[in-house]
Amino acid sequence: MGIEPGRLHFSWISSAESTKFAKVAQEVSDKVKALGPNDHFAKKELKVA
Amino acid sequence: MKCIKIDKNEWAGGLEAAASTYRLFGPVKEDEFYEFKALEEGRAPDAAAMAVRNTRTSPRSVVYPQAEVLFEYTTDERDPDAHVMKEPEREEKPRAAIGIRPCDAYSFVLVRNNFESPEYQDVYWLRNYEETTFIGQACHDPCSTCFCTTAGCGPFHEEGLDVLLADAGDHYAAKVLTDKGETFMKAAGWGDEIDFPDEEWEGWKTAAGEKIVSEVPTDRLADIDTLALHDADFWDDVAFSCINCGTCTYLCPTCWCFDIQDENKGREGIRYRCWDSCMFPIFTLHGSGHNPRDAKTQRVRQRFMHKLKYFVDRYEAGIQCVGCGRCVQHCPVNIDIRKVCNLMNSFGETESCSVA
Amino acid sequence: MIAYTDKIQEIARRLLKDCKVETVIGFRKGSVPMMNEPCFITSADAADGLVWDGNCGINLANYLTNRKEKIAVFAKGCDSRNIANHIIENKIDREQLYIVGVPCQGMIEKRRIRQMAPGEITEATEDGDEIRVKGRDFEEVYNRDEALQKNCAVCVHRNPVIHDEMVADEVEEQTDVDRFADVREIEAMSPEERRVFFRKLLEPCIRCYACRNACPLCYCPTCFVDESQPQWVGKSQNPTDIWTFHFLRAYHCAGRCTDCGACERACPVGINMRLLTKKLNKDAFDQWGWEAGLNLEERPPLDTYRPNDPEEFIK
Ligand code: SF4
Ligand code: SF4
Ligand code: SF4
Ligand code: SF4
Repeated sequence: MGIEPGRLHFSWISSAESTKFAKVAQEVSDKVKALGPNDHFAKKELKVA
Repeated sequence: MKCIKIDKNEWAGGLEAAASTYRLFGPVKEDEFYEFKALEEGRAPDAAAMAVRNTRTSPRSVVYPQAEVLFEYTTDERDPDAHVMKEPEREEKPRAAIGIRPCDAYSFVLVRNNFESPEYQDVYWLRNYEETTFIGQACHDPCSTCFCTTAGCGPFHEEGLDVLLADAGDHYAAKVLTDKGETFMKAAGWGDEIDFPDEEWEGWKTAAGEKIVSEVPTDRLADIDTLALHDADFWDDVAFSCINCGTCTYLCPTCWCFDIQDENKGREGIRYRCWDSCMFPIFTLHGSGHNPRDAKTQRVRQRFMHKLKYFVDRYEAGIQCVGCGRCVQHCPVNIDIRKVCNLMNSFGETESCSVA
Repeated sequence: MIAYTDKIQEIARRLLKDCKVETVIGFRKGSVPMMNEPCFITSADAADGLVWDGNCGINLANYLTNRKEKIAVFAKGCDSRNIANHIIENKIDREQLYIVGVPCQGMIEKRRIRQMAPGEITEATEDGDEIRVKGRDFEEVYNRDEALQKNCAVCVHRNPVIHDEMVADEVEEQTDVDRFADVREIEAMSPEERRVFFRKLLEPCIRCYACRNACPLCYCPTCFVDESQPQWVGKSQNPTDIWTFHFLRAYHCAGRCTDCGACERACPVGINMRLLTKKLNKDAFDQWGWEAGLNLEERPPLDTYRPNDPEEFIK
């Protein structure tokens, strides 16, 4: 589709792995923040065409 | 007959000149097909484009865009215009539809019946329509699916046009029909007035008419009982293959139905209208969850009854179809309005009405 | 393939006369060149109207959804796979169907022939490997293979996978085709190039939903694009809304699409939205060796769990 690498993440985290969850969530949000706002697949303006 | 001679060498230059006062629309090549859309700055339709008879999508959107903002608003109190419904800014230049075919131009005359009545005037449609100049092009060589001559117009039909061009080899003979047309010709700098032989023009017209191989009979439609036709036994057969897409209604120049939608983002919002189609199940879905046209057959019947019966009865302006043949050519499952019109028009004439 | 027509009529006549089925779903001759219209018949006398040739590209599985009666349906390779899919997804019972298999040699892409012809085609006839077209002042002959639908040209399941009877002997399957060359080309692009590519691909879309409605997989009573509570997608021509429709629809077809080509064939503006579903077909094939609708026994990968799932994308 053309989503930049690094914007989409997948992980297996068991419900028992709370520290892993926190760590992964932190990593994901850091990486996505570094990429900046998603310009391509978000409706930025109210436009009809 | 007075005509303006437009030398083909002066075609592009004239349109370029006109583009300073008009926004030009015309047939434009998109990959393999032609669309009728805004011409890029300084890009006049070339010979190949002018030879295209039916653009894939109709020129309907010149006057009636597929989606059009009606108003915008903000609820941000810091904005002096907060809570005011404002019209979006409009382009200043009026529009001109270049090389529009006579059937397509005539479609606006039919559609006007819907957007302008003594009780209601649709300002958005009317304003766009009134400001548009229609520079038509006669069809010397109609398609096999064209049935304009039995659908109220024809390859040289003038109603709805401001200028009618006829291709005369190295030049166009332009018949100026209205003041609006004259203004456009001046803006394009085309003024070489000639005396065009009437017989030649009439000869072209007859020759083009003779090339029309498709027709629809409409003579009995008005007199047939509406309810009986509504309950005719052929509808299930007609509708079976239909997939209820929007192809026929979205390509059709005479379809006019729309939906109204609101969208907002933060404190800003717009209300727009966009084309809708009687073929879509949600078109008639009530808030209660009830859908009066829940079944496919009902929707297909609606399209044909509207075009070929209700419209006929209500406006006395013929059928709501100009015979462009787009739906015939592009329906993915080959539902053919010519066949259906035949069935409807001959309803009750003989005992059996099943499709061959 | 013309030769099938007589056999098809004969089978339909027999099934209806013997009350084996109540309805027969097939094709009748179209009103414009290179088009046939799906139709149903309920009496043996009407069987004369049935036809078969290279213009039967519409997927007839689409006409079976939620039907209640006993039906005979003519099915090409891809149709039969979509029928299998329908049975697996409980949209119709196997017992309700009498499937008449039609070995297929590929369907004709009308647009391609129209482009090849020097003028408007007013008549087209198929004759073995040739297609003869006529216009007002020309006559041309094209090779059938040059004019096949893109999906048919690389199809490896031309013979119906389930059937109660066959119209003719099986045809030879194609083995030397490169099915996913187009997908690989897109995979090789950078994300930015891909985004631009898809933007251009989908730009002409008028949201008529012919692609969705021609697809046997798209049987949801209310499609997500039509939902209003909540409304997932705007209804204007905003490109983001158009992408949302196409990308999400493609995902809903993952592991189910048979690449029958009905969607692309139906599109009035010639968009090859199959590139989206094909990528998912390729993934399903690469990951699990899965091709949709090949039999009634195996569950599709997206509704089963297997411990040996590669899951390479998950870290
Ligand atoms: S008649 Fe044809 S084009 Fe119209 S909704 Fe039905 S299938 Fe689509
Ligand atoms: S109904 Fe069909 S033929 Fe008639 S104007 Fe509309 S698209 Fe053209
Ligand atoms: S997505 Fe297209 S190719 Fe795939 S099954 Fe549906 S119609 Fe056929
Ligand atoms: S059929 Fe074509 S135009 Fe219609 S919604 Fe699908 S891609 Fe868009």
